[in-house]
Amino acid sequence: MTFEAPQVAVADLVLDARVRVEDLVEREALEELCRSFQTLFGIPVRIYSTEGARLADAAGEHELCAYVNTTPDGQRACEAIVGAVRARDPGEDGDVTHTCFTGAAYRILALEYDGRRVGRLIVGPFLPASLTEVPATLTAVDPGILKERATALFAKVPRAKAETVTRIAGHLKSALDLIFFAGHKAQVTSKMHLASVRESYRQLEDKTARLQEALDRMRELDRLKSTFLATVSHELRTPLTSIIGYSEMLVQGMAGEMQADQLEFVKTIYDKGAQLLSLITGLLDLGKLESGTMRMIVRPVRMQSVLAEVSSTMAPTARKKGVSVELDVPADLPELRGDAERLRQVFLNLVENALKFTPAGGSVRMSARLVDGDASDPEDDEGLALLAPTRRLLEVRVSDTGIGIPPAERAKVFDPFYQVDSSSTRQYGGTGLGLSIVKRLVSAHGGTVRIEEHVPRGTVFVVSLPQQGPPPQTETHG
Amino acid sequence: MQINFGGREIALKLVYYGPALSGKTTNLRVIHQLTSDGSRGRLMTLETKDDRTLFFDMLPLTLRAEQRAGGSGMSLRIKVFTVPGQVLHASTRRLVLQGADGVAFIADSQISETEHNAASFLDLRQNLIELGLSLKQLPVVIQFNKRDLDKVRSDDELDLLASRGREPVFKAAAVSGKGVLETFFGLLYLTWTKLDGQHGLAKMLGMESGALLPMAARQLGINADISALLSSCVGGNLDRHSRVHS
Repeated sequence: MTFEAPQVAVADLVLDARVRVEDLVEREALEELCRSFQTLFGIPVRIYSTEGARLADAAGEHELCAYVNTTPDGQRACEAIVGAVRARDPGEDGDVTHTCFTGAAYRILALEYDGRRVGRLIVGPFLPASLTEVPATLTAVDPGILKERATALFAKVPRAKAETVTRIAGHLKSALDLIFFAGHKAQVTSKMHLASVRESYRQLEDKTARLQEALDRMRELDRLKSTFLATVSHELRTPLTSIIGYSEMLVQGMAGEMQADQLEFVKTIYDKGAQLLSLITGLLDLGKLESGTMRMIVRPVRMQSVLAEVSSTMAPTARKKGVSVELDVPADLPELRGDAERLRQVFLNLVENALKFTPAGGSVRMSARLVDGDASDPEDDEGLALLAPTRRLLEVRVSDTGIGIPPAERAKVFDPFYQVDSSSTRQYGGTGLGLSIVKRLVSAHGGTVRIEEHVPRGTVFVVSLPQQGPPPQTETHG
Repeated sequence: MQINFGGREIALKLVYYGPALSGKTTNLRVIHQLTSDGSRGRLMTLETKDDRTLFFDMLPLTLRAEQRAGGSGMSLRIKVFTVPGQVLHASTRRLVLQGADGVAFIADSQISETEHNAASFLDLRQNLIELGLSLKQLPVVIQFNKRDLDKVRSDDELDLLASRGREPVFKAAAVSGKGVLETFFGLLYLTWTKLDGQHGLAKMLGMESGALLPMAARQLGINADISALLSSCVGGNLDRHSRVHS
């Protein structure tokens, strides 16, 4: 969203802009004030801004004026007077009197605010207290004006002494000054408020832009890291394939018989080469998983076959260690949507890991079952009664009778290169990448993997995979 | 500063800056109380319920170089502002500081407020930089307010600090009116001297440069000896200060 506020010239506010009273006052309220003055003193009051805009006009017409206006020349003369009064500048002293042909007078006073003229106050027409007779100028204006009628109406025009008018006008001026001040204050406050909000917003936007830039740079670095990892792994693997291939051929005697010592040395080269290859392959997988370039082929998968294949693949290793591998999968286990090859890798890694840490005579067991989605995360239990049936999970448990993993270590074993005890790398071998790959592959399927205690001894890795497959965004990774 | 020949006006802007609750608004209130209302307008305060300044306070003063007294008839309009001291009003402070011709920094003398004073001064410096100004170009006076409280920095300490700094330092207890006019006239003197030097303001007003402060005092209804007010500062020699940076 872009911030669109009316342009506020703060410079105007905090410097010394000219105040326009038109912007400060509520005209209706001002008019009401003027009307109450007329009611109180009987004298009409008008307020004009410096620019000539009429801000308030509470001038009810005197009967005498109405009468004069019934004659054509009287009307013309009246209009001329009104126009002249409206245009009259109150002069240096800010207070002049303008007299009408009827004998009535207008007082024109300057309105000041903040040391500057902002408008004019026109008080009148009223009759000066000293004037008792209808002046000749009145009847001379138009032959249609009758002396008797004019005299009768003349008596109804309010009379005031000059000092009284000065007092009334002074009072009105101070009331107006207060009104202007209140209006000015409200105007300044609202402008300042807007300007402050705008300024804060600008600052915030600035900060956000800088943060976004930093984030973009970090993402780019992360991507570079993953690309680098993938490239290096690939480049390492190519010569390694030759090392492994040729040493294997030597072991198989394809280049002639070797002495026992030579054979053992070459075998060591082969073993270590193979170990290095699996490390690099693991790194490559991890790199792909992190960079999101691993393509998943999601199809219906029969978990029975995947686990049976894992079991048979690992059988020779298990036999060699004297550990039994057991499989417990119900025949009616429904199919799951996922990538069979990646899932096979998950359970190969888990079983390999289990075998590694299980001493001779122990057992590794894989069992699978379908469960209702539960709230493995206690925070995530809203509407579970409704949602659980749609979240069927296929739960595969890989349990062993090995050395076990202390509770504090359970979350960390999924970190790359982490082993519970660094000495175990030497004792048990392995790259420390297997479990982190497991975790990422399971996540890519929208599932979770956690570790439970296996009583009386050993560890259970519990893999929960959503039966309906990975969420769509994972599926389209490529 | 703005010069408006058409309107026959020169406008100056003085800003009272400083940490929260150091007495900026109190300074303005006192100037308002001690001056007669012929030349000063209403004090506009925009504050929240708890008496903390929300946006700013503003006191307008209008001096006229009256033709009767040999002046040009032009007005010198001085607007004195305070900024809101609370940290959260940073953007408002910057807005109010725009176009300032001089700054009075109101510090709290209490030893416990030392850090707040310093932080606010750095804030002032930063805001000036963002407005394209610098402390070196701007007339600044410092007021150590609240001299009437306990646990304040001692006079000797202040004298020493003042002698090491560039800005003239005034000691004040604004609640009782002490030091307020001194600070104001000190700031007006520095600001006037600098701007007059740059723009020849006195000539525009049709007066001698040195006549401004006495005229201001007269029109504001202050019966005080200007040179006594000015000489109450410690450190940062006013004359040298204004000459060096005008």
